[in-house]
Amino acid sequence: MARVALENVSKLYPGNVKAVDKLTLEVRDGEFVVLVGPSGCGKSTILRMIAGLEDVTSGTVTIGQRVVNDVQPKDRDIAMVFQNYALYPHMTVRQNMAFALKLRKVGKEETESRIRATADMLGLSELLDRLPKALSGGQRQRVAVGRAIVRQPAAFLFDEPLSNLDAKLRVQMRLELARLHNRLGTTMIYVTHDQAEAMTLGDRIVVMDDGVVRQIAAPTELYDSPADLFVAGFIGVPQMNFFAGTIEASATGVCFRADAGFELPVSAEMAGRLTAYAGKPVTLGLRPEHIGVSESEQRGSGLRIPAVVDVVEAMGSESYIHLHTGNTSFVSRVDAHRRFEPGQECLQAVFVEKAHFFDTATERRIE
Amino acid sequence: MSSKQAKRAEIGKHTLVVLVLLFAFIPLLITFVISFKSNQQFAVAPLTPTFPLHFENWAIGWETISGYIANSIVISVLAVVLTLVPALLSAFVFARFRFPGKTVLWYALLGLLFMPGIMNLVPLFTLLRDLNMLNSMLALSTLYAVGGQVFCVFVLRNFIEDMPQDLFEAAQVDGASPLQQIWSLVIPMSGSILGTLAILRFLASWNSFVMPLVMLSSQYKQVIPVGLMRLDGEYIKLWGPMMASFSIAAIPLVIIFLFTMRLFVKGLTAGAVKG
Repeated sequence: MARVALENVSKLYPGNVKAVDKLTLEVRDGEFVVLVGPSGCGKSTILRMIAGLEDVTSGTVTIGQRVVNDVQPKDRDIAMVFQNYALYPHMTVRQNMAFALKLRKVGKEETESRIRATADMLGLSELLDRLPKALSGGQRQRVAVGRAIVRQPAAFLFDEPLSNLDAKLRVQMRLELARLHNRLGTTMIYVTHDQAEAMTLGDRIVVMDDGVVRQIAAPTELYDSPADLFVAGFIGVPQMNFFAGTIEASATGVCFRADAGFELPVSAEMAGRLTAYAGKPVTLGLRPEHIGVSESEQRGSGLRIPAVVDVVEAMGSESYIHLHTGNTSFVSRVDAHRRFEPGQECLQAVFVEKAHFFDTATERRIE
Repeated sequence: MSSKQAKRAEIGKHTLVVLVLLFAFIPLLITFVISFKSNQQFAVAPLTPTFPLHFENWAIGWETISGYIANSIVISVLAVVLTLVPALLSAFVFARFRFPGKTVLWYALLGLLFMPGIMNLVPLFTLLRDLNMLNSMLALSTLYAVGGQVFCVFVLRNFIEDMPQDLFEAAQVDGASPLQQIWSLVIPMSGSILGTLAILRFLASWNSFVMPLVMLSSQYKQVIPVGLMRLDGEYIKLWGPMMASFSIAAIPLVIIFLFTMRLFVKGLTAGAVKG
């Protein structure tokens, strides 16, 4: 097991295309860190630099106590699971798992016992003599993970390993990976564009955009206190609602005046911080579950946004109500048993204490 | 289409195929028929079977050309090995590595594809003479190997590039050196294309006539195409033994083809559909 650290790591592709810009990240020994972000944000590049499959343009990559910038992938003591599984098609499951051990000249008995143990752990014992083409997607994925586990590496790298699976299998495999991490306790670095995977698997999540880290935090912290508009919009399904507006400070107090036409009194806690933004453009962020929640939760705010229902998405246990007020659209997450009809006019209650404010100019959250 | 029409179309197709096959096989059949004739029988009925059958023609033929066949096998097998090993290594480098001047080198290599081989005959002869390597079977194999490089590198590079890059990266992380990647991934996965190239190169070396005629002066080192020509006497043609020799000369190729037919067809269509 080992810590993995990146210090001021940048990656420049030919033509001065910056894939990663001065990234600093420390993954602690035994930690499960998830890199998440939209396609092309540089998260896979980071993983490939840790693996040694891409050169680092500047900065240092450390695995354990060793700077590995110039170390070959095979000597970095890491194992990687690829998006397309990358199973050797002409080798059986057993041979796939034994390949790395054979190259490392691990004895036959030791190899066989490791394969047996891993196959038992992953439910692959019956499949050891099959070729990859005779396996289902989920089984192939398990073999790919098994091939990494038998290596007993210092760290595991996962490059969107579940993205080729169907939704049900993905949830199942997600659970298995979480169990696996609990069991092995090995350092794991996981790349995905699926924020649900990131939230459920990661001890900490690194949110990236355009080669830059936007925030590194634990899942709940990321959800409750997003550092900026990007993180706030990226984490959470449905995504956070944003309302453009300005801060108005008067003798009676501080309030947010939305361009959409409503006014939101600011909690006493936030008022002090927002006074400095009086007259400046500010963006209000509200999670869908903080709009239109049950009456008992609308403590004291007294705010109701007058809105018209556009679409109702029934999810079973809850419903997403898509509404608009003026030209601004937003979503509310409510109990599935509350009835809404398209075209219906309603007043949506807001959980004011949960409101986030962002400086529109810098996009940073006002704390 | 009614079943009657379909049947008629089937008959038409089959007739066409049979005609083409007849056209291709009749010369071989005639060669075979003549191989059992004496010169007198040949003069009377050149194309139809005659009796008695002169089996001794085959014995004479075998005695005459068995040495040439052995030489051809040695030279062709050696040429195949000498072609494919460096071609595979070069193709892997072109497919998997980034290095300065790669594109220029690649186009330079491709340019050689368009150079007619016969143009090299005189310079190669001079070169071998200066190296004191004329009349050497190894030198002839090397010439075949060099001649086959460009085409093989071209085909293999494209094939390796079409292989999923993740596989190579997984192997790299697993600890495989480039040579181990070639041995453990490329060779097992490109069996059909390597087999096809091996057959094509074997045939090219086996059938080559001008090169051995020029480069090999000793009759004991000579290969089958040149040897067969020598059977064609200046004053007397012994048709029976000559045709028996031709038939014997074809046997190794027929055997190779029978054993590798499926591989060969698979290789020819490789890359047509991405698997």
